[in-house]
Amino acid sequence: MGIILETQELTKYFGGLGAVRKVSFFLNEGEMLGMIGPNGAGKTTLFNLITGFLKPTGGNISFRGRRITGLKPHEIVRRGIARTFQLVRPFHQLTALENVIISCLSPREGGGEKKNGGVEEKAGRLLGNVGLSGKEGMLAKDLPHGDLKRLDLARALATEPQVLLLDEPFAGLGLMEISSLSPLIRKLSQEGHSIIIIEHKLREMMKLVARVITLNFGEKIADGTPEEISRDEKVIQAYLGKGGMTLATG
Amino acid sequence: MNIFLEIIVYGAVQSSIYALLAMGFCLIFGVANIVNLAHTALYMIGAYLIYTFFSVLQLNLAMAILLSVVSVALLATGMYRFCIRPVMVSEWSVLMITISLAMFFQQLMIFVYGPADRNVEGFIGKKLTLFGAVDIDAQRLLTLGVSLVLLVLLWLFIYRTRMGKAILAVAQDREAALFMGINSERVYLTVIAISAVLAAVAGAFIAPTIGARPEMWAPTLGKIFAVVVLGGIGSLEGTILAALLIGYLEVVISFSISSYFGEIVSVVVILLMLSFRPSGLLGKRIEA
Amino acid sequence: MPEQGNRSIFSGERVGLLIALAVLSAVPLFIENRAIVEIIILANIYAVYVASWDILCGYTGQVSFGHALFVGGGAYTAALLNFYFKFPPWMTIFFGGGVAALFGLIIGTPCLRLRGPYFALATFAAAAFPYGLTDVFWEVTGGLDGLYGIAPIWPTLMGKYYFSVLLTAVCCGLVYLGGRSKKGLILKSIREDEVAAMASGVNTTAYKLTTFVISGFLAGVAGAFYSHNQLHVGPETLSINLSILVIIMSVVGGIGTITGPIAGAYLLTIFNEMMREWEEVRLLIYTAAVVLILLFVPKGVLPTLSDGIKQWIKRKGG
Repeated sequence: MGIILETQELTKYFGGLGAVRKVSFFLNEGEMLGMIGPNGAGKTTLFNLITGFLKPTGGNISFRGRRITGLKPHEIVRRGIARTFQLVRPFHQLTALENVIISCLSPREGGGEKKNGGVEEKAGRLLGNVGLSGKEGMLAKDLPHGDLKRLDLARALATEPQVLLLDEPFAGLGLMEISSLSPLIRKLSQEGHSIIIIEHKLREMMKLVARVITLNFGEKIADGTPEEISRDEKVIQAYLGKGGMTLATG
Repeated sequence: MNIFLEIIVYGAVQSSIYALLAMGFCLIFGVANIVNLAHTALYMIGAYLIYTFFSVLQLNLAMAILLSVVSVALLATGMYRFCIRPVMVSEWSVLMITISLAMFFQQLMIFVYGPADRNVEGFIGKKLTLFGAVDIDAQRLLTLGVSLVLLVLLWLFIYRTRMGKAILAVAQDREAALFMGINSERVYLTVIAISAVLAAVAGAFIAPTIGARPEMWAPTLGKIFAVVVLGGIGSLEGTILAALLIGYLEVVISFSISSYFGEIVSVVVILLMLSFRPSGLLGKRIEA
Repeated sequence: MPEQGNRSIFSGERVGLLIALAVLSAVPLFIENRAIVEIIILANIYAVYVASWDILCGYTGQVSFGHALFVGGGAYTAALLNFYFKFPPWMTIFFGGGVAALFGLIIGTPCLRLRGPYFALATFAAAAFPYGLTDVFWEVTGGLDGLYGIAPIWPTLMGKYYFSVLLTAVCCGLVYLGGRSKKGLILKSIREDEVAAMASGVNTTAYKLTTFVISGFLAGVAGAFYSHNQLHVGPETLSINLSILVIIMSVVGGIGTITGPIAGAYLLTIFNEMMREWEEVRLLIYTAAVVLILLFVPKGVLPTLSDGIKQWIKRKGG
């Protein structure tokens, strides 16, 4: 169980604004890591850097010991890192099945040649795995928000990733939907995927993860277990300002 | 020496026309996010209307100019209200419908006036002698003068009046402007009317020099694009600078090499700029 | 993004296409009027123009306002090779396609990353450049009049006609099959959300560029064919009017479906010719009709019709 993904002093400046500042962290293989921080802390920017949507101003990213800094998004997907987006991004005019098929079509590095024939089956299975069987033929624009979140998961899984970066998987979901989505994410971790979750719904997220890192103003300010984080003064201050109360972990 | 002075004046006239047209185009784009491909068609209609009112109907010059400009402004607002606004949600639909409108106007001009050029007499039928050396016809100088006046008026309007500030606000951030109680629809209409006026004046005043032709909107559209791309969207100063550069470049090349090459200048500029610096000299970034 | 019509029922669509092909093949056997046959040849050529446009623009959503660059590039390459060097038509046609494909590579590489209106603008400028050049080098290209005396594809009308059917069957067929394939699905995903497509592992740049080049090749081939059909080449093959005409045919037919634009090409070519009687108002009505269609039938005539028919069938059945 070694380190599967790590960043070294990763930095991104937009003009004078330091969105991510010398952030170094690592993800162990098979681990589920939480990433929290107030809005604007740089969490999504960090995801964008790791997945190649943004070029870092400084620092490095390594996957399985090999540098992936500066690779294009599709190349990073092909190496085995997949992501979901904070605001769902389905292909509206395509069906749920087609949405997943797109992700199935990218060749994986080191994998065998994909047979096109099996792609529909694979996509159908994945939809079933995330609880969307029966909805394969529905257009994405007709699916409710909760289903779109599941569709996002299916699409990410279709690229056969080793690392999953989930950006606010619970955003916009009610408690019931969260409690049915949560076990799905846990199962993914048990099946061997290494996962980083950005979330604001702290209570739900803390139940899933073994470790949490906290960002504030682009810097990593804490790294520890959920209990340690909830008692960390710097974290509390970041969220609640000076003189805040203890963060409930439930 | 003569040629030199001629170039200076001709270049200035050319640049001022481009500035008038490009400013109007940028205003509409910057404020309402509409790429109005029928903008130069309005310029063409301005030229045809001055022909109609001044040359054909023999109206008094001031009256003819006024009627032409007002008609074009009305046409533009109607175009916006009935053709552009219904499809505004889609950038692409706006492109399509405005280019189709431009083509429709071209056919309309052919239908009403015939395919041949229409000539308009100069408003002041004299030649002036500048600096004791060069003969420049007064019409060109008049055009230059009027353009400069309009550009200054425009500047004053935008930076010194309430509506002007509202326009700037909407251009910067539509939603925030809405929150502040600015009626964006009214701002759009104002901007459309202003651009139409600028285009109509440009057309009306340049008509005695180059005549009115049904195809005249198309190459001019390309040149305005070049100005806009060179200057960068969102920068009024950039637009003026670019208009000067392109206007003079065209005139210089036309004089020195050939007028054919002068026409291609703008196209080359567009291609080069979009390939290497899409944000223009002074504008914001526009890549996907 | 242009509005998308609903997908058709696949098997019905293929049967329809085969029937259309059969009808096309039968035309000269039943129709005596030379003029009509010539019109359909023209429509066959235009069908390739629009199909090659749609596979890029309807599918990926990058709308090109400079398709004439490919058509004219192919037309002039073929004409110049034939006129000055006596290359035979079948050779010039391939060179025409090749040159156009090269244009696609040169223009596509810097321009495909530009957003919507800027890409449209860039392609418009790209087409305007050679248009201007034909004027500048008028001794070689014949300037506004163009070149006359280009060799025909085939001496007889029948032969020429069947070659045009072959052209359209092969080119449109390729585009159609490509569009309906998995690769076509990927192109559509790029149109829907390029960022999401990238996150799904799609190399969007490579896809767009390849499609642009293929689109160019096919349009160039059709343009070259056009030169040999008209026995003449002129700057109208490079004009913005042609680019816009292609777009209009596609929009009217229904963007993003391949079959829609092809139908649009046939409809509008025939409509255009039928109106020759009213020469003065022909283009006026044409352009006015386009504006009205854009306002009131934005999805395109064919998709709207087919939706309407489906609704009607549902109501009858239910």
